[in-house]
Amino acid sequence: MATDLRELLGISNGQAITLTALPPVLADSRSNNSELLDIHGTTVIAVKYQNGVINVGDRRATANYSVMYDHAEKVLPIDDYTLLSISGSYARAMEVVRYLRHSFKYFERSQLQPMSLDGKLSELAKVIAAGIPAAMQGLGGFIPILSTFDARAGEGRIFFYDGMGARFESAEFGAAGSGSVQIRGVFDYIVKTKKPFHEMKRSEALKEALRLLDIASDLDAATGGWSKVLPLAKTISAEGIQDVSEQELTNIVHEIDKSAR
Amino acid sequence: MVYSPFDFNEAIGHRKEYIEDRLRDGSPVVGVHYSTGLLLLTIRKTQRKVFEIYDRLLYSAIGNQSDIEAIRIAAIDVAHKEGFDRSPDDVTAQRLVSFALSPPLKKLFGDQFNSPAIIRGIFGELGNTPEEDLFLVINYDGEFSQSNDFAVIAGTQEAEDRMSLWLMGISSQTTREQALDRAIKAWGAGAMESRRRQMKDDKDKHPLPELDETEQLTNYLREELKTSHVEVGVLERNSLRENKFRLMNDDDLRELLKEYS
Repeated sequence: MATDLRELLGISNGQAITLTALPPVLADSRSNNSELLDIHGTTVIAVKYQNGVINVGDRRATANYSVMYDHAEKVLPIDDYTLLSISGSYARAMEVVRYLRHSFKYFERSQLQPMSLDGKLSELAKVIAAGIPAAMQGLGGFIPILSTFDARAGEGRIFFYDGMGARFESAEFGAAGSGSVQIRGVFDYIVKTKKPFHEMKRSEALKEALRLLDIASDLDAATGGWSKVLPLAKTISAEGIQDVSEQELTNIVHEIDKSAR
Repeated sequence: MVYSPFDFNEAIGHRKEYIEDRLRDGSPVVGVHYSTGLLLLTIRKTQRKVFEIYDRLLYSAIGNQSDIEAIRIAAIDVAHKEGFDRSPDDVTAQRLVSFALSPPLKKLFGDQFNSPAIIRGIFGELGNTPEEDLFLVINYDGEFSQSNDFAVIAGTQEAEDRMSLWLMGISSQTTREQALDRAIKAWGAGAMESRRRQMKDDKDKHPLPELDETEQLTNYLREELKTSHVEVGVLERNSLRENKFRLMNDDDLRELLKEYS
């Protein structure tokens, strides 16, 4: 019987990993406390700047009206040039991040070329769509913002999604999570009265993004402020993803606090 | 048909001879670690030879292109499956080689009704500290061996022995520049050994017989690099990028290649 090395090794033909689907929830089996099962990430913001994109997020995760965690990381690198900022179901979102990291890297390592931007965006749309049945029953719904540096175009790009997996490209900014609704108009106000985010310097755009986060935490009960823990900020540019240092964040946060009084 | 122990020995011997003959002229690969990383170096004319397998694993091999690819893809499959199902921390070269790759190679080697795999591969694993760095060399018959500071693969035992002499003394304190310098010289020593064997019947064609070993080596590398180029895959311990692996570019290699241009 002829067997070859590939057969013996059990090579999968490009399907090494699959995201586990959420089990369906029976409507009548849900207890009144089921919301406590599903911890939610609150507000994340992406804005462009001259050399790329800045992502910021508060550190809070909530279940119903309880603060469950105040060190949540909601701005997550997927590969060297892609950030996913997540809001909504923390469990599902973290699982999706793990899946996408493996999926994008698996593609690049096995095919010896990076997955195209369009391919990455579709992959994310697919995993959101796969969660719809559970999300309809109240568990596992999450909304991400995907930011990336498009090397071909030489610019940062921001994509946001709805709960069904539809994707939209944004020219200047994106926001998701409970506090994003309250600050939506502020983005437009900044663009119309100051200047478009993509023309701003890094320091300028970073300050605006943090100020927006501050307003969100003021107006949304679930979004965390920075009195206890600093927010999280990362940038993507042609050089890849970089953390904004704690020192820099501390300085800007103090400035914003001072000017608010 | 009567099958005697003698036939078994004879058949295995023929297979071994056939494979060793096919491997003999493969361009050697050198693996060395240093204080801030770990690298695989080779010199090649055509296809890429050094590959990323997983977050902390890289791979290279000599032999039949199709077998090299089969082992590469299988390793990527297993690593990603395990890394996603369990944790990236559970993906190690030792588990990969001894449980996933060695048994199929051994089976195929002993299977008289199939053609054996023609391969000699090397895996490098980056540890959290230089002391934890690891190399695993796997052979066509499933045999594998482990080492810490360096490892080599070449077409013959003699070539590997000569290469190892150049790498003695490599340690956790070795710098990247020292590691690269030793690695390219080790490659030269291995490749020259193979040339020497090819030329042994024809004394007139012996390359540079009047020079001492180091001079011969420098001249030999200078000649080789006119038609081939150096490929170095590296895993960087302190990299802030999401991917620790990268192929070294011209800037990284400029200093090293000065001596041979």
